[in-house]
Amino acid sequence: MRGLRPLGLVALLLFAAAAFTPLANRLNVWMAGVARLEPADAIVVLGRGGADTDGVLANRSLRRVLHGIGLYRHALAPWLVLSGSAEEIQARTTLAQGLGVPAAAILSAGPAHTTREEADQLRRLLLPRGSRRILLVADPIDIPRARAAMERVGFDVLPAPTAATGPSQPEARLGLLRDIVIELAGLTYYRLTGTP
Amino acid sequence: MRSLTLVIIVCLTSLAAYLAGTRFAGLRRTHVREAAIEALDYLGLAVAFLLCNLAVGIALILGLRTLTGRFVSVYLVNDAALAILSLLQAFIFHRWRGRSS
Repeated sequence: MRGLRPLGLVALLLFAAAAFTPLANRLNVWMAGVARLEPADAIVVLGRGGADTDGVLANRSLRRVLHGIGLYRHALAPWLVLSGSAEEIQARTTLAQGLGVPAAAILSAGPAHTTREEADQLRRLLLPRGSRRILLVADPIDIPRARAAMERVGFDVLPAPTAATGPSQPEARLGLLRDIVIELAGLTYYRLTGTP
Repeated sequence: MRSLTLVIIVCLTSLAAYLAGTRFAGLRRTHVREAAIEALDYLGLAVAFLLCNLAVGIALILGLRTLTGRFVSVYLVNDAALAILSLLQAFIFHRWRGRSS
């Protein structure tokens, strides 16, 4: 039980730094890297958070698809590719069409549970069409692992992270730091198991 | 500014509790430091419980994936409720330890 006190102190300091300083925001920006919003063969919007049973997209999923639609409207690519769970893809497709993206320009990747599965689905969908250069839409913290997964299957990736500065409220900052820790753990797991 | 507001609120209520404790409840000023150190022990215990809960949760999920071949998301353990339950575990364990010693 001797190590509990230092552990408690570390936890307290980490909490204070995470909630009351821009630590999480800085990490968020750092993980996003530099966005490269250039013409590509396709805009790929990765899944995140899915949709509720009534078809309402989760916050992050919604932010991603809106960013992807914005890129499409700037004519950066001829295809808007929607990925994620089956419900998420359906809800995103409905939203994209409602916001003016032609149905013919929307491609749906097969349902996937993990980024690795998404990469495999996207490879099967896009590479036979000659779409190798992709604008990758994901949250800033997800960009490193997602980018590595896409490059592993043969894509040339242009990162297009959603807003990178992150929240300013203490509770939201704590949530962001938790997500960053999880993402870094995922990245480590992918590397330990021999894939990006 | 919002962050600072929260800190100010907590400082004010802490000061009020300190004054009320020392003037009306007969608490000793010299014990504040010991109480803070004990809180660190308690917090450390909560972190230890949280890490154990996460480890067990992830192991169970990975085991289920392996045994059943079905996908179970690791995000299942990504829930603030787990942190609160860990605090509760630590509180009970801390009290139990205190009563037993």
